[in-house]
Amino acid sequence: MKAEYINPFVSAAVEVFSTMLQCELTRGKLTIGNGSQPTMDISGIIGLSGRASGTVVLSLDRAVALSATEILLSQKCESIDGDVIDAVGELTNMVAGRAKAGLEHLAMSLALPTVITGKNHVISFGSVTQTLAIPFTCEWGGVVLEVGLVESPEQAVESAIAASAAMA
Amino acid sequence: MKVLVADDSGVMRKIIIRALNACGVTDIVEAGDGAEAIAKFGETSVDLVMTDWNMPNKTGLDVVKEIRATGSTVPIFMITTEAEMSRVKEAIAAGVNDYLAKPFENDLLREKIDKFVCV
Repeated sequence: MKAEYINPFVSAAVEVFSTMLQCELTRGKLTIGNGSQPTMDISGIIGLSGRASGTVVLSLDRAVALSATEILLSQKCESIDGDVIDAVGELTNMVAGRAKAGLEHLAMSLALPTVITGKNHVISFGSVTQTLAIPFTCEWGGVVLEVGLVESPEQAVESAIAASAAMA
Repeated sequence: MKVLVADDSGVMRKIIIRALNACGVTDIVEAGDGAEAIAKFGETSVDLVMTDWNMPNKTGLDVVKEIRATGSTVPIFMITTEAEMSRVKEAIAAGVNDYLAKPFENDLLREKIDKFVCV
């Protein structure tokens, strides 16, 4: 996956948390992802397809998921229930949607979000997809954003031509 | 005023309904997907349709096209993660009257709702 493709997702996550939750995310160090978020309690997953295809995973600590839902609904949340699952799916949807607007040349469409809960859950991206992961911290706990995108053959050719032209 | 709110996210429907309530609108019909939105639109007369784009069982764009195909001129307000200008143009061409990309400030949502409510 191209490193520059992660930036719109990072910006989107920061914007979504700031705008919808009034919560500031502090970015950690970019790592090559391995599809596992071993300390997280809940993950929103959404597929992207178009001139690039792949998966976006937004994983949250339990406290982050509960606090985010409380802010969105203006009501107390004490356990990971249907509202929390729905809220995490919607936040993931917003991050992916906002990011793909920054990658308009890839003409990607969003699938519907899926949410997985459970301590120490692991998400597999498949062996062919290299992913990039960004950890964040906020006042409620930790967040990890992991993205795996593969360009279509046509887009890969266009990217190679553009890179050659830039070097010439 | 009666409003149809279509979004597959229950949390998002609650956020929209809270904003509608703040604008004085309490007569609200909810739909959890596109097909339900079309069905509810056929069953009851509404003064405003607020719809998401990405929903199961017919997209919000399908909903807009089907409503306009009936000849209805009901105002349609789309609230969606689809933020690309090409998508906005596509929605407006299909008959959407206003468009708000997520994420959004609650004040902006209420401001846009107020424009429909105060007509």
